[in-house]
Amino acid sequence: MIREIYVLYKREFLKLIRSKYMWFMMIAQPLMWILFFGNSLAGMPSSFLNQYFGVSNYLTYMLPGMISILMMTMGVFASMSLVFDKRVGYLKRILTTPTPKSAIGLAKALGAVTRGILTMSILLFLGIVLGVQFTVNLIALLEWFVSLVAVGIGFSLIFMALTANTADVQAPGAVMNLITMPLMFTSTALFPKQFFPSWLQIISEANPLTYLTEIGRSALVYGTIPSLSHLIAVLTFTAVSMVLGTIVIEKTLTAE
Amino acid sequence: MEYAIEAIELRKLYGDVIALDRVTFHIKKGEIFGLLGPNGAGKTTTIKIFTGLTKPTSGQAIVAGFDVVKNAREVKKRVGWIASEVIVDDELTGWENLEIQAKLTGVKNWKERAQDLLKYFNLWEAANRPVGKYSTGMRKRLEVAMALLHSPEVLFMDEPTIGLDVGARVGLWEVVERINKDFGVTVLLTTHYMEEAERLCHRIAIINKGRIIAIGTPDELKTKYGTDIIELEVKDKVDTSVLSKFGEVILEDGKVIIKTKNAEEIIPEVVKAIGSVKSVKLKKTSLDTVFMNLTGASIEGEQVNIQRLYRRIRLARR
Repeated sequence: MIREIYVLYKREFLKLIRSKYMWFMMIAQPLMWILFFGNSLAGMPSSFLNQYFGVSNYLTYMLPGMISILMMTMGVFASMSLVFDKRVGYLKRILTTPTPKSAIGLAKALGAVTRGILTMSILLFLGIVLGVQFTVNLIALLEWFVSLVAVGIGFSLIFMALTANTADVQAPGAVMNLITMPLMFTSTALFPKQFFPSWLQIISEANPLTYLTEIGRSALVYGTIPSLSHLIAVLTFTAVSMVLGTIVIEKTLTAE
Repeated sequence: MEYAIEAIELRKLYGDVIALDRVTFHIKKGEIFGLLGPNGAGKTTTIKIFTGLTKPTSGQAIVAGFDVVKNAREVKKRVGWIASEVIVDDELTGWENLEIQAKLTGVKNWKERAQDLLKYFNLWEAANRPVGKYSTGMRKRLEVAMALLHSPEVLFMDEPTIGLDVGARVGLWEVVERINKDFGVTVLLTTHYMEEAERLCHRIAIINKGRIIAIGTPDELKTKYGTDIIELEVKDKVDTSVLSKFGEVILEDGKVIIKTKNAEEIIPEVVKAIGSVKSVKLKKTSLDTVFMNLTGASIEGEQVNIQRLYRRIRLARR
């Protein structure tokens, strides 16, 4: 199993770093988020920013949230890549070997996480270049990194499980709309939850992106050690989606 | 005699469509077996079942003594597969493609084997080039090398020479013969090309609409289902009644066509009976005629339709 995951991950990795368009997207996407969205509140009085977000710069507040959203959307690439492998027949090639189907899913999930970590590094670098001041806590930083990888794997497996039995190239997009939009807006990735209506607060507390984002803010913005419950919440999400995801992929992944 | 491949009452339904209808055949170890049939006859479905890509609706498929449904892993360890469409990863090099295949099939000394195979298939120089830059023939050779990497006992080849030029096709035939003779690999191949089946296959099954309609060696099939065709150009009108004792007689724009079994022997009598013969053409039976006779496929029939269709299109344009 490890050998198969390793070599299939190597394939994902090589294809990833050899694609010019991937590099372009990896740089262009964060740049647009930072330049356009991150600066959308730049002219707001800092007293208001401090009261509302707890920091005087919205970009600082937003970056960990943006990275959470980024990690979630990486799952779409895993799902697209799986459908693409069906379309070109490559999945048949893999499935005529004794490779477990879950190994294919896990390798693609790791590929998506790699892409996410690379994009995230560029994003943080751009943030620093644009003058974002971080207050770093190292333990929290380590926790955050683990959480990012975990959530990336979790979402990738969910996305792939939902598109395992189709070769329709539209499917990953449909699933993306179904999952990413609601999760993005019901988490604290973009706005703090103390001003949410109470029903939205409840939803946001069941949303893994909220915990991932809060761990990220502890690591970069507040410089504090996050509550252990956040990490437990993230790892629980990943464990459940890994178990369910691999079972569904094992049962429903079709060769074409 | 132990069998390498067994299909027992195999059925496969796609919704209401019957792709395979109680297909049964047994392939001995070391045999090259051909599945012949028109498009959509069920050839690819059969291979998909044996390589574990799809499950049969009912019936049993056994490879090297293992059931493909119950013991899929054991079967997959022992089979190699060559697709009709060449399936390799274009963005990776030949060497990387082989590495993936080797690790997925659990080959231990893969580097040596990969090197040997690349040299054997004349791809060593191109090993570090992306496969997307290979020619069709090179990609096919790489695919064959990948299929042989883990020394499979059984090789499934789905229309292996489709899209190859004559040289590459003959080259691949030689490879198939060599691995069969030297390593005793059992081969199940599907093809449309009668020439290919005749050259390579020890035995052939003809499949049509999901059913096996004939099975045997090429010679057996020719004797049993073949017909020779005598085509005569004649000067005068011919009385077909005197010819009917030789076989089936068809009159077609000034030509007399006789379908018969032992054409060489009866030609003198036919010529004598007609009297005014301008020319004689003899088409000996081949797997082509066997195939046409059994599957009812007729190229002439299609031509007539195309003529009619074309005429209709031209009329519609006016």
